[in-house]
Amino acid sequence: MPIWLELMVLMLVAYAVGLAIGWALWGRSAETEGNG
Amino acid sequence: MAELMQDNWIFLAVALVIGVLVAWWLFAARRTRVSIAPRDEDTPAKRNQALIDAPPAAKAAVPPPTPQGLAGVGEAVAASAAMTSAGDDLTRIKGLGPKLVDQLAALGVTTYSQIAAWNDAEIDRIDAQLGRFQGRIRRDDWPTQAKLLAAGDEAGYEAKFGRL
Repeated sequence: MPIWLELMVLMLVAYAVGLAIGWALWGRSAETEGNG
Repeated sequence: MAELMQDNWIFLAVALVIGVLVAWWLFAARRTRVSIAPRDEDTPAKRNQALIDAPPAAKAAVPPPTPQGLAGVGEAVAASAAMTSAGDDLTRIKGLGPKLVDQLAALGVTTYSQIAAWNDAEIDRIDAQLGRFQGRIRRDDWPTQAKLLAAGDEAGYEAKFGRL
């Protein structure tokens, strides 16, 4: 696997991790919000 | 792999931050954005001068209200007021909070007996109008809760749904 592709995959993974962190912080609380 | 990450950690950190920012924009910013048009109190209201200067339109022939035409209105208003004042405390239903109470009131639902009488079609109809609370009706089984509360069966309610 060429080095640039490996780096690209790692960056995509980091991006996905960032999305997951953001979802855990803001998205999940909206879904499991208490009584409306 | 570890060496590559060490050498390029700055790129990975930037990608992570971008991911967090995108998630924030998706989940937090877009949901809570409130758009209130700025209102400048100092500027006078703009009037449509052309409309003001225009000759008055022909008066529409509106029949004067007759007692027959208004028959029943008073009763309907009184019944409506009675229903509003006789509304139940819907927040006792688990999964139903003040925001949902307001939404249901706007849909004309204010009593346990109304919720208890819902059939599948009505649940679907109401559920479709609950926005981000969709699915609550079936998830928390509002009709059964409402039936028990309408009947005043608190023991039965607590046995099935927990403490009131």
